[in-house]
Amino acid sequence: MKLSTYNFLTSMAIKGVKVGFPLKLTINKKEVVESEFNPTFVERMLPKLDWSAVYGAAQVAELTDDIPAVQPENIGENELLMQKLHHLLFEIDVLEGQLECPETGRVFPITDGIPNMLLNEDEV
Amino acid sequence: METPYTDHLSLEDFEHVYEPAEDSFLLLDALEKDLEYLDQLQPRLCVELGSGSGVIITALAKKLAGFSLCLATDINPKACNATRRTATRNGARLDSIRCSLADALRSQSVDVLLFNPPYVVTSDAELQTQQFDTHSESSTDRNLVFSWAGGQDGRRVTDILLKQLDDILSPRGVLYLLLLRENKPEEIIQYLEGLKFRAVKFMERRIPGEHLYILKVTRSSASS
Repeated sequence: MKLSTYNFLTSMAIKGVKVGFPLKLTINKKEVVESEFNPTFVERMLPKLDWSAVYGAAQVAELTDDIPAVQPENIGENELLMQKLHHLLFEIDVLEGQLECPETGRVFPITDGIPNMLLNEDEV
Repeated sequence: METPYTDHLSLEDFEHVYEPAEDSFLLLDALEKDLEYLDQLQPRLCVELGSGSGVIITALAKKLAGFSLCLATDINPKACNATRRTATRNGARLDSIRCSLADALRSQSVDVLLFNPPYVVTSDAELQTQQFDTHSESSTDRNLVFSWAGGQDGRRVTDILLKQLDDILSPRGVLYLLLLRENKPEEIIQYLEGLKFRAVKFMERRIPGEHLYILKVTRSSASS
């Protein structure tokens, strides 16, 4: 699971959960998958992303030196930051770990790179 | 658009995961036919629901490489795994998520949604006795039933998706939905119009025993 994907995941489908975002991320095993840097794509993706979850992911991935807590203005002009965002969002693949619902504490395991977000019938 | 390699998948995989067939290829052909539209749309998030072997989302991910984030969901863990392997085999970048439909995704985030649903008309009673085993990590043979058995009118799962569509699609989002004539596409088009969507039969194909359609669905408010 890439950290860009993490930014789109919610536990809102659980009965009674209001927002379910951002999920609490734990990384036990990750790998870096190199991919071509496309600044235009990173910039276009940003409005769809929640910066607090981007920063949260950076904290867990121990890349906070690279990513500021608050989204800077004119971020597209900062090539270095765009490169670091590309690395954080598209190159780090979480292989083992877990996601936790911020409201109920329900844990969703990540195994072999695949988060298991499937709920039981009595949870929805 | 190239048809992805599937030689990494074995007969054993296809005991648990739907094997690409005419319906899968029609959905691929529809995307190919609409590439110009997709280029203009500049989708940032593309999602396939019930990705099975993963050939469709892998083909799209390759085509949109570097311009779009592609995700695949499936309730069947073996399908999630097969999709991930198909992406790797073909050098495509995408993530596999185990969940029901788009349940785990943030509201109105999906720009391109693909769905080849379980569309075969079966009795609801038959389907209900076949509860998908969500507790087990290993899928069983009977779980493959969920890749094709559609209940009454073959619409049990499709109808659930249509009810959630407004919550899934982004303001400019588009859905490509595979249907069978027996699923009553006209009825679905009317239903979607009532929900302020515009739905058209984008492609159709007759194969022995089946008349397949691809429905293209956009919000009526979105500019074409």
